[in-house]
Amino acid sequence: MAQEKNAKGGKDNFTRNLVIAVVLGVVLIMLVPTLLSKKSNTNAATPSSVSVEDGYGMVFNKELQDVPFIEIYEDFQCPACQRFEGIVGEYIEDLINTKKAKVAYHPLSFLGPESQLAANAAGCAADQGKFIQFHKLLYVNQPPENSGAWSSSYFTTLSLGLGILSKDYDKCIANNEYKDWVVNVANEGAKRNINSTPTVFINGKEIDRNKAYNSLAEFMLAVSKA
Amino acid sequence: MKDNFVKLQPWIGLVVRLTLGGVLFVAGYLKVGTPDKSQMAVRAYEMLPISVANLLGLILPPVEIVIGVLLILGALTRVMAALGGFTMFVFIIAIAQAWARGLNIDCGCFGGGGAVAPGETKYLQEILRDTGLAFLAAYLIRYPVTKFSIDKKPMESTSQKDVA
Repeated sequence: MAQEKNAKGGKDNFTRNLVIAVVLGVVLIMLVPTLLSKKSNTNAATPSSVSVEDGYGMVFNKELQDVPFIEIYEDFQCPACQRFEGIVGEYIEDLINTKKAKVAYHPLSFLGPESQLAANAAGCAADQGKFIQFHKLLYVNQPPENSGAWSSSYFTTLSLGLGILSKDYDKCIANNEYKDWVVNVANEGAKRNINSTPTVFINGKEIDRNKAYNSLAEFMLAVSKA
Repeated sequence: MKDNFVKLQPWIGLVVRLTLGGVLFVAGYLKVGTPDKSQMAVRAYEMLPISVANLLGLILPPVEIVIGVLLILGALTRVMAALGGFTMFVFIIAIAQAWARGLNIDCGCFGGGGAVAPGETKYLQEILRDTGLAFLAAYLIRYPVTKFSIDKKPMESTSQKDVA
């Protein structure tokens, strides 16, 4: 190294400076923004019915004791989640309505920007008391991943069908008001080692990946055993 | 034969450098925009404590981009090849242990990652690909002098000994 420097110091400096520039550039342009965007914000605005102690999940029947506690980690863009919703969605809705289970939804956003927008919109819908309905509607209208279909105006239009006519709601979606909440949900999911979606826990134990995700009967069995 | 190699070597080196650098750059670039997914991919190997895996998931894509860019430019070729080779070595171990333990994951090398259905794993292809890339890195460590690189010209470089 020393010998090289003596031979032609200027050129070595150029390489060194270039390396420093590339490293700094990537750190500043990519790493720092990523780290900042992934920072949890404990003061984040949260939609109604979000429970901070339940990993920022959207919790239904929070007050119920002695019923199974179903936790669902999902990404609105994930096709497997759409399948799961198709198989057990109505049953879970039924459990909520008949107060036979406590249910927490955790909308993850690992598939990309449109998952983030969808999760935020679901939070906005929760404020209008329409989370479950919106949830269902999202899966029915699931486009291919990050195709550009899911935008603010798409969600507000979609919600007209649910009878949501509120300026606050439109603003909530357009301003991405629950952005920090969505980050918090993702971070809590990461801490809990959620490595695929959907991931479902009943009373803290993951259901059988080979059975209960694909069959309503198996899922009902898992709930009744809990 | 040997003369031919001496003449061809910098050109072979160029192709090798661009291939290894290009693969690393693309791999990093495809992951850098989806940090949640990248963290998930690292966690899925079940090798590291969750918090460490989450941190590595954030850091790894930019690191791949840096190594990739510098290899493409041909700056510090030998050092970057060593780093690239080291990451390949680590990836091979990680994939092999996942395979041996019967985990069902995608390597997440180019985005994606996390759990997949049993029978959808591609461990052998992934290991063979990374092994090939590790050999490319080894070549560059042995012959770091390549065409169109930022690094010093052959006659000034100490590594010229290796070629001659």
